Amino acid sequence: MIRAENPDMTAKRPVKQHRARLLGESLEAALLIGPGLVLLLLFIVWPTLNAFWLSFHRENLLGTRLEWVGLANYAEMLREPAFWRSVGATFLFAAIVAPVQLLLGLLAALMVARPFAGVAFFRTLFFLTTAVPTAVAAVAWGWFLHPIGGTVNRWLGAVGLPAQPWLTSVELALPTLAIVTAWAGVGFTAILLTAGLQQIPEDLYEAARIDGANAWTQFWRITLPMLSPTLFLVGLLTMLSSLTAFGQIHLLTRGGPVESTMVWVYRIYQDAFFNFRFSYAAAQAVALFLMLLLLAGLQFRWFGKKVHYE
Amino acid sequence: MKRILTAALLGIALGGLGMAQQRVTIDFWHSMGGVLGEATDALAKDFNASQNRITVRSQFVGSYDDGLNKLRAALQAGGQGRPNVIQVYDIGARFMADSGAVLPLEDLARANNFDFSQFVSQPRSYYSVDGKLFGLAFNSSNPILYFNAALLEQAGIPYRNTWSLAELEEAARKLTVRDASGKTTRFGLSIPIDSWFMEQFSYNSGQFFCNNENGRRARATEVTFNNPAAVALLDTWAKLVREGVAANTGRGWADSQALFAQGNAAIAIYSTASLTGVLRQVGNRFPLRTAFYPYQNERNGTAIGGAAVYLIRGFSDEQNAASWEFIRYLLRPETQAKWIIGTGYFPVVKGVAELPMVRQAYVRQPNFTTALRQLETSKVNNSTAGCLMGGFTEIRQIVQSAIEEAFRGKPAKQALDEAKVRADQVLARYNASVRQ
Amino acid sequence: MSSLPRWLARPLFYLALGVYAWLLMLPLLTLLSASFRSDADLYVPGLIPPRPTLEAYQEGVTKFPVGRYLLNSLVVSLVVTSGVLLISATMGYALARIRFSSQNLLFGFVVALLLIPGEVTFLPLYLMVQQFGWINSYWALTVPFIAAPLGIFLLRQFLKSLPQDLFDAARIDGAGHLRILWYVALPLAAPALGALAALTFLGTWNMYLWPLVVINNNEMKTAQIAIAQVLSVEVTSWNVVAAVSILVLLPTLIAFLLAQRTFIRGISLGGLKG
Repeated sequence: MIRAENPDMTAKRPVKQHRARLLGESLEAALLIGPGLVLLLLFIVWPTLNAFWLSFHRENLLGTRLEWVGLANYAEMLREPAFWRSVGATFLFAAIVAPVQLLLGLLAALMVARPFAGVAFFRTLFFLTTAVPTAVAAVAWGWFLHPIGGTVNRWLGAVGLPAQPWLTSVELALPTLAIVTAWAGVGFTAILLTAGLQQIPEDLYEAARIDGANAWTQFWRITLPMLSPTLFLVGLLTMLSSLTAFGQIHLLTRGGPVESTMVWVYRIYQDAFFNFRFSYAAAQAVALFLMLLLLAGLQFRWFGKKVHYE
Repeated sequence: MKRILTAALLGIALGGLGMAQQRVTIDFWHSMGGVLGEATDALAKDFNASQNRITVRSQFVGSYDDGLNKLRAALQAGGQGRPNVIQVYDIGARFMADSGAVLPLEDLARANNFDFSQFVSQPRSYYSVDGKLFGLAFNSSNPILYFNAALLEQAGIPYRNTWSLAELEEAARKLTVRDASGKTTRFGLSIPIDSWFMEQFSYNSGQFFCNNENGRRARATEVTFNNPAAVALLDTWAKLVREGVAANTGRGWADSQALFAQGNAAIAIYSTASLTGVLRQVGNRFPLRTAFYPYQNERNGTAIGGAAVYLIRGFSDEQNAASWEFIRYLLRPETQAKWIIGTGYFPVVKGVAELPMVRQAYVRQPNFTTALRQLETSKVNNSTAGCLMGGFTEIRQIVQSAIEEAFRGKPAKQALDEAKVRADQVLARYNASVRQ
Repeated sequence: MSSLPRWLARPLFYLALGVYAWLLMLPLLTLLSASFRSDADLYVPGLIPPRPTLEAYQEGVTKFPVGRYLLNSLVVSLVVTSGVLLISATMGYALARIRFSSQNLLFGFVVALLLIPGEVTFLPLYLMVQQFGWINSYWALTVPFIAAPLGIFLLRQFLKSLPQDLFDAARIDGAGHLRILWYVALPLAAPALGALAALTFLGTWNMYLWPLVVINNNEMKTAQIAIAQVLSVEVTSWNVVAAVSILVLLPTLIAFLLAQRTFIRGISLGGLKG
């Protein structure tokens, strides 16, 4: 008994101290976590749940009363050809933006990844579009492509081609917007790809040069394979962000002509704030969310293992 | 008992005192940006200076859609922060009446013995719903033809005040200039893609844009924008665009106006409210002349466009009385005169055009009289009252898509028939949401 | 390239570089050119304005409260950035450096929130902000964004990667977590914080959809949506639109030129969040 009590006695103090300390830690943790957690719950979790809840309702004229309609909004959405057209436009848009932006960014990155006299200057120029707000980019292009004053149509005229209705033709408007978007993202892509290129060990190139490989071979055999994880990741990010593009469309085409640039997010905006169909817009927003989740899931499943990065 | 009486008396006395001292402040939301916004704010300022009991706080709330959104937001939040007076665009008339949020102007006017015969008829009929006047036409406009008079003269085409669609087409063809390769170097005609021009052409040709006689005999349940006149206009318009006679500058009006002002389009169609801006852009390049909006077979007359001001419910009688005072001020011929000279809109009460300052302005720039004369010579019927229906914002988008489809080669009738199916769904949904 | 002699390869490289940079910058240069033109010269061909003038700038700033727009953007971006730094540092620290039950659960929760795009929450958030009476206020533009899952995640990862000894030393000295956070963790996390700040600042400055729906009062507009406003009012005066756009571009451009490194780090950090 006595023998057994002794170690107990000696152990008691640290345990108590440990407990007090743990309690203190919990308090501190609560203090550090509390405000952030409340904000997250209030401004992200709650609105997300609310979006689902809203999407099961229909509102009256002023939106002052809601009536439960179950899945009716979803059913209507899936039946509406205009919805599917906008889904198509959204994916087409992303499918153009991602490769174009990747290509333009890669070209820039390849040029400025290694140091040379004046590299800082050119890096600044190539990375500069990151500092250009979407709205300014859109306006710049709106003027660049202007039917009368625009530089692009002047060039076409100079070589005897007719001026093109870049933003007013059904065929051209969406690709044009995609180019604008890709341009605005060149800086972003170039920065990430430059970082990726710089991580490729120089000795690989040394070895290749000794083997007599020219620049072309080096690019295909070393640069591209080594850069592929970064390229893939950047491409994915670009595609995901272009699936929710909005500002440039709002400024340049407002979804027209013939709804050819009516992408998913623009439709949500239009239905909620012009057609006063908030709950229907919420249903489309939830559908967009599920689609993005699905894409994220696929990304994990398919490529999570293959492409390894920090 | 005595104490209560004393308290009551005291209350009345204090209340009276308060009333005598306190100025009533009313909020006025409008959607007039730029120069028009300055003119609007000036009206409120002049009103505030003209008396010492009421202060109007005039606030620019962005586009008409922004304004409606803001109103909806306020009403959803239990009415907090809603304005006393709000300016809402023409096609919001049905919505405003259905919303139940509007204090009909007619009720106030009758209570205050306002003489309705002072009103010009179209603005009054446009904003009357089920026989009751809801809003006051504030900025009223109609569409007119814009001619580059120098080019007209060059081509030997005599200026006329009225044009049928066929005559306009012929003139546009004559005025088109092509280079050796057949590429158009100067367009004969430029019309921005806007549903409004389809609406107005229907009215001007004696047709309706929606059923139940433009929704004036009963609530509109279907659109009728596939009427013969609208089909004829779209058919001609699309044909001219495809042939390179008419320019397709998209939905924005600005590019079309730049084209016209640069002398690259000989004829154009805009609102009368565009006149000030177009004149400024044209500068001294060429003399500008305006004419009445075209029609199909026989000219019936145009409806008004623009916007109206509405009084919102839920304020004290005192506040409503103050709002009415402001409306009353806006209706004064002198106020109207100041407003129309600054903006290019036309007056909504009679006797304004005869005022000396208006006459002088009209002599200086006779093009400003076109809209007014067009208004005065328009027949007064349910066609020129304009289509009254809900969901009009969305329906306009659908019509505009149909116009664009026709430009790409779809037959006009087919494009409009298909658009009608979609628009009818929108309208049915709107009507259902009113019943809900 | 081994086939090209060196004396030729160098100039060709610079030529290609120059042409590419020129093409990329051209849309901005034409905008700049338009901003220095008068109404009359607007459509005159050429990149150099025939008669450079500040007319458009003058008209832009007299017609629109451009300074106010920029101030709004600045206030909103600064407030959101400071808020994000504060919340990310505290939550990130707690998640990385304090052991408490349900810590993993909480971290998983934050990661899950990373997947929720703003486009999904903005409609209910709008209704909520409307109920709060925050429409047309800085509140609506800032408060919903100061707890950013991405920021919390990044800071947690960064703090977790630091060696334990740094913290143990302070712990032995009897310092509490708040002290350690302030005196040890934050100084060590300075590069991460700087990058996060740059990322957040740019992101907030660029916000478009949200300010568009919660602000309809001219005085409260941020620079981004003010451009939409200017474009719709001055549709016919592209020189004025261009001038205002250039003024809106200047602050971010200058910030970028001054703190290019930090911005680049922020973008790399945000981009490679996986």
